[in-house]
Amino acid sequence: MEQSGTGALLQGAVQDLSSDVASALRGGGHAPVTGGPEDGITVAAVRVLGADLLLPHLLARTPPPPDTLDTLRQTVSAFPPRTDAAPTVVWSHWAMRRTLRHFEQPPDSTPAAEEGPEPDGAWLDGASWQYLTHQLAVLAPLAVPGADCAVARAARSRPVDVARGFVRAVRRRDWQQAAGAGRWLTLLDGVPDTLGLDGGLDFVELMGGSDPRVALQVAAARAMRRAGALV
Amino acid sequence: MPSTDKTVAELTEIQSVDIEAALDPAEPDGVYRDSRECAALALTSGTTSLLLSPPTPRPKKG
Repeated sequence: MEQSGTGALLQGAVQDLSSDVASALRGGGHAPVTGGPEDGITVAAVRVLGADLLLPHLLARTPPPPDTLDTLRQTVSAFPPRTDAAPTVVWSHWAMRRTLRHFEQPPDSTPAAEEGPEPDGAWLDGASWQYLTHQLAVLAPLAVPGADCAVARAARSRPVDVARGFVRAVRRRDWQQAAGAGRWLTLLDGVPDTLGLDGGLDFVELMGGSDPRVALQVAAARAMRRAGALV
Repeated sequence: MPSTDKTVAELTEIQSVDIEAALDPAEPDGVYRDSRECAALALTSGTTSLLLSPPTPRPKKG
């Protein structure tokens, strides 16, 4: 698909950030987010990456560097979802606010950091397993241990459908969707053993891991699987 | 509006479009390499149903 100039720049910035986060999840350290509020592309890339910017710190229970936290705070303020925004846009913004709130000290320090009321999750009610898996993969930053929300509840209530969607994504060679679905599956109870999730994640990494966004999701799934976490 | 400001405004608008597209992506077309998947696709596709139709009858010799 042909991209605009800013689209290509944005995609590159997202890939760079994803690569940093994936490296941190594998234990390779976490490079600080370069640029500041004046660096529009970086802030835009953080908007696309979303709450995953701080995932290594969330899983390791370590405080993020203040400048990284500032960048996420700036991103939340700079890109509020429109009133007619798609559910994934609204939910990804809410996920950033929830993550900010998690790291804010004290938790209710600033209005900008408050996660606000949970968005409507009704768009997933009765969704086909294919659509459910696609939407969950897009919202993979919501797949974190111990964090409840309507999207997580939708995933939790349909583990077999998500497993089926994971297999479909692999067969379609949609590595990003497969990696996102795999990350959700590591957090769900009731996933069929016959799925072979560990082997599936290995395969997704082998085939699609050159894309840093895929590598990030696989690294996240492995980190959470090691921790034995459930939603 | 100064030209620089206009350019920045345009870039911001383009960027917002790009961000929305990244956060609400359509599912890409699958790349199937499996014959069973291909057959399933052909069955559900009206335009390719001809591929699954029986071979054209040929006149019998003699």
